[in-house]
Amino acid sequence: MITPQDRLIKALNGQVIDRSPCICPGGMMNMATTEIMQRVGSYWPEAHKKPQDMARLALGVCHLTGMENLGVPFCMTVEAEAMGAKVNLGSLANEPRVAEYPLMKLEDWETLPGINPGKGRAGIVAEAVSYLTSSKTELPVIVNLTGPISLASSLIEPMVFFKAMGKKPELVHEFLYFVTDNLIVFGRSMLQAGAQIINIADPGGTEEILGPRHFAEFALPHINRILNELQGEYQASMVHICGRLQSIFTEINQLATNAISIDSTTSISKLRSALREKVVVGNISTYLLQNAQPDRVKATGFNCLRKGITILSPACGISPATPLANLQAMVSAVHDFDYQNREVSSLG
Amino acid sequence: MADQQIILDRLAEGVREMDEDLTLEASHEALDNHVDALTAINQGLVVGMNQAGLLYEQEEYFVPELLLCSDAMYTGLDILSPHIQRSSAEDKHKVVIGVVEGDTHDIGKNLVKLMLEVADFEIYDLGRDVPPADFIGKVKEVGADIVCLSTLMSTTMDRMVDVIELLKKEGLREKVLVMIGGGPISQAFADRIGADAYSENAIAAVADAKRLIALKKKVAV
Repeated sequence: MITPQDRLIKALNGQVIDRSPCICPGGMMNMATTEIMQRVGSYWPEAHKKPQDMARLALGVCHLTGMENLGVPFCMTVEAEAMGAKVNLGSLANEPRVAEYPLMKLEDWETLPGINPGKGRAGIVAEAVSYLTSSKTELPVIVNLTGPISLASSLIEPMVFFKAMGKKPELVHEFLYFVTDNLIVFGRSMLQAGAQIINIADPGGTEEILGPRHFAEFALPHINRILNELQGEYQASMVHICGRLQSIFTEINQLATNAISIDSTTSISKLRSALREKVVVGNISTYLLQNAQPDRVKATGFNCLRKGITILSPACGISPATPLANLQAMVSAVHDFDYQNREVSSLG
Repeated sequence: MADQQIILDRLAEGVREMDEDLTLEASHEALDNHVDALTAINQGLVVGMNQAGLLYEQEEYFVPELLLCSDAMYTGLDILSPHIQRSSAEDKHKVVIGVVEGDTHDIGKNLVKLMLEVADFEIYDLGRDVPPADFIGKVKEVGADIVCLSTLMSTTMDRMVDVIELLKKEGLREKVLVMIGGGPISQAFADRIGADAYSENAIAAVADAKRLIALKKKVAV
């Protein structure tokens, strides 16, 4: 029997598998809902700060939903905090968020501290990964990095940062290089703690915000640098890009990963025909997950699989109010789907 | 004396082409040639900003370009505004705007604010991560015509419902128009939660705001 870990790694790498896995990667797309926290007895915001609680919550999610991966952290603020941003850790129902940027002027980026992977919440996440990998689970551990543009715009007012792309592109690259160096350090520490898979999500660096030209110039090379530098340290990788992707199919094709995770605004069929070499992860609407009946969620899962999704997952961050029954219904879709009934082959 | 239209065109061009130097130069030129400051703003700078907005809608421009255009526009405004001959109290429509609680992504909100300002609305910006009660407090305080709610995150969409519910509870829902927008928002969502409009982007938001105000006036008559 193939283990969930082998199945997901093979699926992400485009190899032949018996059926699609169902995952919720973590980070901005984490799976901790209020209902799950209550059942597990591990709650936000404490679970962002205590490695055991973080690990217990990640394990509890899989236990309760049948989700086929463990994923940490549960937010996108670990890196920014380690680099000097003030973070509000939120509440039971609200994710942590950046409350204050450490940088006023882009020129001063050299004054920012680098990420110390053994300290603060960066160290806590690595410790949580160690707990998870030593927990005798057959589930793969996905560690999540905040994408370079999202991290950069968590360290300085985004308006200032985006304007600099036009006025001081060299400076923006220097800054992004520094940001990326730090992401590599943090990513490496989580992988060394035993995680097998890395996911980079960059919701702040979408085509809709940057446009195709700036996406190619500022987002793509820095994401690729992380993937290339850490290659050999992970067994599989994926990149999540929010928003519509139609006008950056060429750039998406150049991402140094096999697997692309997509939002619900992107058409699966169009993406599949434009990017034949890529494995597509996605894309059940999080609104549907929160509000629809389980039957409808499952039917939507079937539809995703039929259209060419290889790995089923939510399209974006799920609401903490999402009912457990709907997450279970999503998972049941990969078990009950008739894999003969596909428009596009998606199992390698 | 330079032709007024040439100066106005240069003002618009400076803004549209993200050229602060040109905008600065043309603004001084306008003053030197006794072009009325309000005319220079409305038929020069604002025209340029609207052209930039159009390019944004056509996906020629994106967020970075639009922000640079706004910088150029404000450069011109700084020079021209002090010379406006103020008429009596203007009756601008009031808009309260903010990013809902739990979310700190405010680029979209800032673009809507910018374009509404260009369109001569009076803006009360509550910033980001705004609790529902703060929206209601500000709406009451200034007697707002419109409240604009924004979020980028799918996890905080429901905070918009909280604001609408609180408006109802306070008996304000009939008095104020609710416009919503942001990455995960859709027309279907707006319909579901009973918002008056979903605006896909900052340019659409201006059109929606004008349309809703006109509609409300018509109903009132």
